[in-house]
Amino acid sequence: MDEDIRRVAGTVLRAPFTRRTVHELLYCGVGGLAGVIGFLVTIVMLAAGLTISVSVLGTVIGLLLLTLALRVSRRLGGLHRRVVWWLLRYQVEAPPKFQPGTGILNRLDKRLRDRAAWRAVSYSLVKLPVAAVQLYATTITCIGLVDITYPLDWVLFRHQASGPMVVVFPFPLGGTFDVYGFAGTYLAAIAGAFSVLAGTWLARGINAGDRRLVRSLLGPSSMAERVSELTRTRTLAVEDSAAALRRVERDLHDGAQMRLAALAMNLGMAREKLSDDDDDARPDDATVRELLDAAHRNAVDALADLRDLARGIHPPALDNGLPSALATLAASSAIPASATADIATRPAPAIETIAYFCAAELIANATKHSYANQIKINIYTERTGVLRLEVTDDGIGGADAAHGSGLAGLAQRVSTVDGRIDVSSPPGGPTTVSVELPLKA
Amino acid sequence: MMRVVIAEDAALLREGLTRLLEDRGHSVCAAVTDGDMLLAAVAEHRPDVAVVDIRMPPTHTDEGLRAALAMRKAFPGTGVLMFSQYIETSYSAQLLEGGAAGVGYLLKDRVANVAEFAAALERVAGGGTALDPEVVSQLFRASRQRGGLATLTPRERQVLALMAEGRSNSAIAADLVVSGGAVEKHVASIFTKLGLPPDESDNRRVLAVLHYLGG
Repeated sequence: MDEDIRRVAGTVLRAPFTRRTVHELLYCGVGGLAGVIGFLVTIVMLAAGLTISVSVLGTVIGLLLLTLALRVSRRLGGLHRRVVWWLLRYQVEAPPKFQPGTGILNRLDKRLRDRAAWRAVSYSLVKLPVAAVQLYATTITCIGLVDITYPLDWVLFRHQASGPMVVVFPFPLGGTFDVYGFAGTYLAAIAGAFSVLAGTWLARGINAGDRRLVRSLLGPSSMAERVSELTRTRTLAVEDSAAALRRVERDLHDGAQMRLAALAMNLGMAREKLSDDDDDARPDDATVRELLDAAHRNAVDALADLRDLARGIHPPALDNGLPSALATLAASSAIPASATADIATRPAPAIETIAYFCAAELIANATKHSYANQIKINIYTERTGVLRLEVTDDGIGGADAAHGSGLAGLAQRVSTVDGRIDVSSPPGGPTTVSVELPLKA
Repeated sequence: MMRVVIAEDAALLREGLTRLLEDRGHSVCAAVTDGDMLLAAVAEHRPDVAVVDIRMPPTHTDEGLRAALAMRKAFPGTGVLMFSQYIETSYSAQLLEGGAAGVGYLLKDRVANVAEFAAALERVAGGGTALDPEVVSQLFRASRQRGGLATLTPRERQVLALMAEGRSNSAIAADLVVSGGAVEKHVASIFTKLGLPPDESDNRRVLAVLHYLGG
């Protein structure tokens, strides 16, 4: 029993001297400030948006303001998540990326129904009291630290000064008290130590609560949302593979099959020329040769068609892994391209295929639209089990994920494995498209 | 000599067909690339027969078939030879709905045998029938009259298949390398076994067979 008490007391008393405490207190300061600012921004925009949209004339502006508030809330949520990771090493995954709708009304509707954004709003609102406690914890710890230094302070600076030293005892009903002598500064130091201890544990407690809030309000969505997300992406996956098969059929029909039919026709005609002519009349060599040439050409073209088609189904270069496949891809690019790779664990084959086709599509996009002189392809695995593909070009920029059907198609394909695409393409460039994929499908 | 209109969107095949037919002394009045142009060309040239690809622009599904059906309604005397990389049972059914006279449906592969292809086209132009063996075997498989078919000897089944393709007795005899008399005996036996009225004309014979198979 005694030992238990001693151990607990030891933990309690040692806490202020741990590294963790430094981080917790830093988080209280930074996170608390961010919380207050976030609250103010959110409440102002929400209030403005709601009141304006209630008034008949301002509905449109109000709704726009509201959607803006939701977008900002999502951003703020991202900021909070980053701060939590940065200072507390507490990782909360981002909620699924927002899927913009098409058409003005649908876009607005999707924004207003963006659950992740609304949850971010609620975090911003709930965060205010939390932030107040966090800032309070930071403050009393700082004051405590100052109080502790009083004996030293007295010895160094105050022994001949007149007047008392004012000690702040930063608790409810605490207030301030004056110290008139060296002995009194010890009292101040004891009060300071108490403040530091209290601040430390208050910080730990409130941060634990804040972490829970961040996880539940800023993390990936609830099970129900996850299910609907999976349903949506499964539909996309099924449609995607059906479309791919249709494309293969179409390519075969218009390519190899057609050429082989023409080849058969040429050969049939040549055979007829050779057999039909009378014995005394020599077969028309020139015509037969011409027919055979055409047949030969069709055979060669059919082979090329089939090769392209096969490569489109599964690039053989992928068998040796993404780095060499992407190097091959870069080498065949019309615009000079370089590929770098740093892959610690080999991704699943399906992921490799998606990454490969993303890279191919992005290079093709850059070639078609960017007027770039140089393309850089970079692929690497991040510590968190994420495969990241970045394709950067120094072209004119202005690529738009919502309007470029190519990019939208990629985003769909990537979302079937819970991946995401980020496009940064300011007018004037450079354009960077970053594709994030899990290592396993 | 036949006067032919070709509707085929692949240039390679369009030009090849044109050349093939002109080589054999036929006249290709027009070679067009979609269904609307086909109807316009038929209205303008009034050909004996049209060779029509089933899949053409704009949707690349069955616009050739729809154009052919429209054409048969508007110009009943003009033969239609559908020409496709696939045999679709539902397409054959739609095509044969209005009768088998002047109708053909061949795989593009058949063009490899130039003489047979030309003979099939001539048959269609003359109001006969030319069905791909693939069409016939699908009809055989789908036929609800399996009992009747089961009573036929293997040889009689061969003869029936060729009849359904639209061949005449002499063509069947040449194909199977038997005498004309032998074919006539087989045909008579088939008609008896299947309970079909004996008929001399090739075309009505095809109809009877198809009707039986469609049962």
